[in-house]
Amino acid sequence: MSEVRFHGRGGQGVVTTSKILANAFVLTGQFGASFPMFGFERRGAPVTAFGRFSDKPVREKTQIYNPDILVVLDPSQRTWPTVFQGLLPGGMMLLNDSEDTGDISQENLRKLAVIDANKIALEEIGLAIPNTVIVGAFARMSGLLGIEPCCDALADYFSGKKLAANIGCVRRGFEEVEIFDL
Amino acid sequence: MAEIKKVKPTKILDHFVHEDPFSKGVAFCPGCALELLLRLIPRVLGNDIVITGTPSCSAPVLLGQNNQSWHTLSYFGTLMTGAAANATGLARYYRKAGIDNTVVCFNGDGTAADIGFGNLSGAAERNEPFIYICYDNEGYMNTGIQKSGTTPYGATTTTTPKGSIHKGKNLRRMNLALKMAMHKIPYAATATLSDLDDLAKKLKKAKEAKERGFAFLHVLAPCTTGWGHKPEDTIEVCRRAVNTNYFPLWEAVDGKIRMTKTVKKPKPLSTYTELSKKFAHMTKEDMQILQDDVDYEFCILGGLSVLDGECQLPVSAED
Amino acid sequence: MNTQAKIKEKSKTQIKVITGNGAAAIAAKLARPDVVAAYPITPQTEIIEQISKFHANGEMDCELITVEGENSAMNAVMAASLAGGRVFTATSSWGLAFMYDAVLATAGARAPVVMVNVNRETPGIIAVSSGQQDMISTRDSGWIFLIAEDCQEVMDVVLQAYRLAEDFDIQVPVMVHYDGFYLSYLSEGVDIPFQEDVDTFLSVLKDQPERTKLIPGGKMGCGSHGILGGYLELRHKHMSAMERAKDKFDLIDREFETIFGRSYGGQVEEYRMEDADVVLVGSGSMCGTIKTVIDKKREQGIKVGLLKMRMYRPFPSEALIASLKGKKAIGVVDRSLAFGFKGGPIYTELKAFETQLEGSKMISFLDGIANTDITTANVGQMIDTICDLAAGKEVREVTWVCYPEAHEALPKTGGQ
Repeated sequence: MSEVRFHGRGGQGVVTTSKILANAFVLTGQFGASFPMFGFERRGAPVTAFGRFSDKPVREKTQIYNPDILVVLDPSQRTWPTVFQGLLPGGMMLLNDSEDTGDISQENLRKLAVIDANKIALEEIGLAIPNTVIVGAFARMSGLLGIEPCCDALADYFSGKKLAANIGCVRRGFEEVEIFDL
Repeated sequence: MAEIKKVKPTKILDHFVHEDPFSKGVAFCPGCALELLLRLIPRVLGNDIVITGTPSCSAPVLLGQNNQSWHTLSYFGTLMTGAAANATGLARYYRKAGIDNTVVCFNGDGTAADIGFGNLSGAAERNEPFIYICYDNEGYMNTGIQKSGTTPYGATTTTTPKGSIHKGKNLRRMNLALKMAMHKIPYAATATLSDLDDLAKKLKKAKEAKERGFAFLHVLAPCTTGWGHKPEDTIEVCRRAVNTNYFPLWEAVDGKIRMTKTVKKPKPLSTYTELSKKFAHMTKEDMQILQDDVDYEFCILGGLSVLDGECQLPVSAED
Repeated sequence: MNTQAKIKEKSKTQIKVITGNGAAAIAAKLARPDVVAAYPITPQTEIIEQISKFHANGEMDCELITVEGENSAMNAVMAASLAGGRVFTATSSWGLAFMYDAVLATAGARAPVVMVNVNRETPGIIAVSSGQQDMISTRDSGWIFLIAEDCQEVMDVVLQAYRLAEDFDIQVPVMVHYDGFYLSYLSEGVDIPFQEDVDTFLSVLKDQPERTKLIPGGKMGCGSHGILGGYLELRHKHMSAMERAKDKFDLIDREFETIFGRSYGGQVEEYRMEDADVVLVGSGSMCGTIKTVIDKKREQGIKVGLLKMRMYRPFPSEALIASLKGKKAIGVVDRSLAFGFKGGPIYTELKAFETQLEGSKMISFLDGIANTDITTANVGQMIDTICDLAAGKEVREVTWVCYPEAHEALPKTGGQ
């Protein structure tokens, strides 16, 4: 089982990212359970979500204290201690950022994946909402599932032109994410 | 004793003499009208008000958490169901004990128009000595945009969504301010954030009126997240609400209404609705129904009021 | 009905990732209610949002009343139910408290209302966080209480609630509880029942005698005044109906399995109980976490089991006693407080039957209150404690797992 913690700000689609991924895992016959951290949500305020993805039924209903994987949708949070808290040895991080990320290091972080999801989203859907780009990048970085279930999973959240455009985001996320071993 | 000279404030900012007791970086959305209103109230009325608030969009800031607070005002976190009754209890005791006070019962439209209307009406009927301020963002916003009694005709919310059969709210809004004026309380008024001089004066009049009993303010406070307008457009939304007569500015002293701002040439309602996505799906017929409702309410105000300027009644096709 | 044929037919599934609230909304839709009352309150709001969307799209043929407050919500559905309709509403916490008079009236009138209550802290301190205090605050209302552990069970229990509430032998309102935040907002895969299967499951109600309804010209009234023997007759009938609900719920679990292929065990669900020496008794979402920790402890040779309470009212004492009898140590996990007692409410209720457990020792754990997380570490600690209890070591009767400060001297901030 993978325990993933998602960080971002209200309005970026953090929670939807975790839901789409749960959906993608379920479509492959596996199991996914995701939920948001509680607190007053406001546009721009920090948001955390949790996702457990596994080939066996997920029964735990607790928050995630020791994630294997971090997904950070907001570049401003990239060095926050709270983001890295509890990261397990051999941990991975997927970061939405356009800038040089040479300053990111943490003793348990072994793999860093970076993608300029805002830029891709602006090009594909005309809005700087990075979440579907991140979904594709996650699939590639984690190696936990293929690109097709991620695209299929979008059908429950988008339709028509928006669906096609967001599938484009997923594909570009998958293709363009850069992965570094630390 | 030397006579204190009364000096008329000539600038709007002169109204806001007291300090802002709220901290920075509080949890409101960018462009939130409520934040502006909440910060301005103690700057006009003073930092010694006792403010009550309920679970609502104001709660994360007004109510604090555990032993922490985002402001320095004395406050009481009440339930929506009994807010005016709680405020009554405070005001009555302070009066009995001779404690100088201004109790401000600060609630959204969900509380004022819906779930807490019963005790609001009761408090007004008994002429209780406090100020009730309703910030109207036309819905339950903190729970994620649901319809309330003040949501206008046609607006989409999550409980009046745009579906394939039903689209938007199919009922006209309830006019809360007019209902409160009909309680014949010492002071009732409407205000909004585009007309700060008007708002500040009304806050002061409410405070004076409180010496005689109940004061009610209805403030239109657009919600950028819920209405779907750009955060930077919030004040313009207020302005257009006023100059289309969607939200006329008036006051009522002991139930006697007068306009405090006369809009000589009201703009078409579409100039107001075009800013907010919640009206985006409306057909010509929908817009006409909304326009008729706005005209109807304004006509009633016209009939009940003594106006500064001309009474602009809509032209009637039949007579 | 050929049950084998039914099971064979059921090779199709439609698994969708939805939240607990989404499951409740879909279940309500599938039950085809006539009247739904909707008022928002965190963490229930998505239920009424989804129902509003179904209604706006013509997927739900019901009268949807967007009431101005919860008190009106319960009054409206109670009346619609007494008039003969199938109804639905949902609330939480303070909303449940605000409709309290109508909740009592609904039970007294034996109106078969089904309501979802998404558990949230109350009463006493304004809190937007998980906890079962709202359920506890209404436990004597005369309603049947059912509790769900995960999103699939939310879906299934709401459907079972209609089957139970409207059964001619029962006719008692049913409240379905599940944890706010930890389950209401949890997204996981749920096998969504097909409409025709739900219709079949509930069709048995149509074959039963018709219940009494308030109809124009019917020359019958409800809500009349009760006194002395007449009052007591109604109360005795109500108490008896609640007793009958126990076996009925077990039966319904079997009926449900026949059509949908899923069984939960009825009033209680036993997890690794047969050879267990020590047991945790719990309810709701904590049970998923407890099962995971039990599996780990079992690998270490500790014989621990879980008794999950699915029916809370009527109190399933017979089922609990049968399952817990002879176990060495029992830890009851309460997500709420019993004011005036030392521990949790379910603990105090189960303790009343201690003499029938043939020597089992019982202690109370308080956890998961006000959004505190019942973590795997917490559960591990609870299991270690009941093992100590079984071994005859000295342990606390009541452990505030979520607030260890309770076990120190009074805090220095002053006040008691």
